[in-house]
Amino acid sequence: MKEIDIPIETSAAKRRTNPLARVFDELVRFCRSRSMFMLHYCTGCGAIELPPAMTSRFDMERLGIQPMVTPRQADILLITGYVSIKTLKRVILTYEQMGSPKYVIGICSCTVNGGMYWQSYATAKQLDQYLPVDLYIAGCMPRPEAVLEGMRKLMDRIRSGEADGWEDYYRRYDWYLGNQQHLFGDDWQTPADVIGEASHYDLAGPGTEGEHTRLLQQCQKPLEPQQTFFQIGGSLEKKGESHE
Amino acid sequence: MSIQILLMELVLMPLVAFVVGLFMVLMLRRIGAKLQRRVGPPMMQPLYDIVKLYGKKTQISHGWMHDIGIIMAVGGYVAAETLLPVPGMDGIADKGGLVTLVYVMMIPSLGLALGVGQCANPNGSIGIARALTAMLAYDVPFVIVVFGVAWYFGTTNLVDIIAIQQAGGVSGWGAIAMPLLAIAGLFALQGMLGKQPFEIYIAPAEIATGPMVEMSGKYLGGLFVMQCFQLYTAGVLYVSLFLGGGENWLFFLIKVFAVVAIPMTVAFLFPRYKTEQMIRLMWKWPVMIGLLGLAFVMH
Ligand code: SF4
Repeated sequence: MKEIDIPIETSAAKRRTNPLARVFDELVRFCRSRSMFMLHYCTGCGAIELPPAMTSRFDMERLGIQPMVTPRQADILLITGYVSIKTLKRVILTYEQMGSPKYVIGICSCTVNGGMYWQSYATAKQLDQYLPVDLYIAGCMPRPEAVLEGMRKLMDRIRSGEADGWEDYYRRYDWYLGNQQHLFGDDWQTPADVIGEASHYDLAGPGTEGEHTRLLQQCQKPLEPQQTFFQIGGSLEKKGESHE
Repeated sequence: MSIQILLMELVLMPLVAFVVGLFMVLMLRRIGAKLQRRVGPPMMQPLYDIVKLYGKKTQISHGWMHDIGIIMAVGGYVAAETLLPVPGMDGIADKGGLVTLVYVMMIPSLGLALGVGQCANPNGSIGIARALTAMLAYDVPFVIVVFGVAWYFGTTNLVDIIAIQQAGGVSGWGAIAMPLLAIAGLFALQGMLGKQPFEIYIAPAEIATGPMVEMSGKYLGGLFVMQCFQLYTAGVLYVSLFLGGGENWLFFLIKVFAVVAIPMTVAFLFPRYKTEQMIRLMWKWPVMIGLLGLAFVMH
């Protein structure tokens, strides 16, 4: 029997054959930088400087930045202040649901190094150990001018392709997961399959899998369908159970 | 009409609708910005948003029903555009007529309901339930208005309706002959566009944009495209029924943009009604005004 050689086309190889590919890449990068939907996860006190940045005084919309309400629709995740450990879990869940390319902005000194909550037992000190932060805006709290300046910096970095934190999360997932496990315990898991996504989109690197992802696979429990409870005539009924 | 010209029109009409729709979205956002004393987004912002959404690296689908739902939502409007006569292009408008158009304009909502159903997000389901309820609410005055106009002109053919109005000059316009129906039509328009007093199914602060809650990347991009078509369709339909269609492109565009600007301006001045309030209001005032207008027309 003769072996049949089936060429496997990876997306990297495909990109090179199209003569206009670089033009398209440039266009998409430009549009990405000019249209940023942000999800503001207002954790700490820094959130108070966002309303002036969005409303008539500073008007972020003229830069193409507008607020969105769900992680699926958003491009930027704004973390505006200290994150307690419980909040950090939610932030990571949110981050993993966003569609790539996605960017994280840490506003406030508390996200950089713990700020004035340095001695607190309940806050995560450095955000970029758990999530790939593309940009920090330091200050306690940064003024709207500083926020806008930061946004402009991020626009430049997206335009030039430097803002690739999201790729880093796929490539070095083991390291990020290790830090997360250190904080949340060995049985920490999220619904998103980061390793699967990384291999599907050709973003897996040498650091995607390692000892921490093996630990994750050992402890992983399959996701159970959500059960809804609702009250009918005084008795609590459980939907999804069989009634005979 | 030769088949080539017809095919060309069928391709051109949705394209024109999309481009005009992009500018309508821009106008919507600029009006909002002006009323809030902001600068507003740059000229090409709606296009940047759509290109960016289609250029996303990860595209999260929730199953094939989700994909088909979006295709139906956009496709329904693409079909509607070919039934709407614009200056110089009739497409298949004189074969379809008003009744087909009203049917076709319901397809996007149903497609969205199918697609969102598979996302299995409770906010999405609530949003869709509200969207269909809203459709029930505004369709009653809308159908009364469409029936009244068709009765008055004695035809359901949009091309003929426009021709009769243009033959009579400005005084022959539907809005002059049937002012009450035109007012009821404005109410229905506001509901159809889902703008603020009736924005029950988007409600970002309450149910996280309802049907759009699980949409990302190209799916959200598809909905953005749908919004362009939606604004255009509603505006052109109103202009065709009441403002004499378009003699030429300049007047046509001026009329369409002016019509669409009304609901948008109203939208930014009002908060949101509850679902049952919207139904009560829709079935009371516009229906009453519409029936009165109908009585005058049939008299
Ligand atoms: S840096 Fe200052 S303003 Fe910001 S969260 Fe920390 S304490 Fe609050």
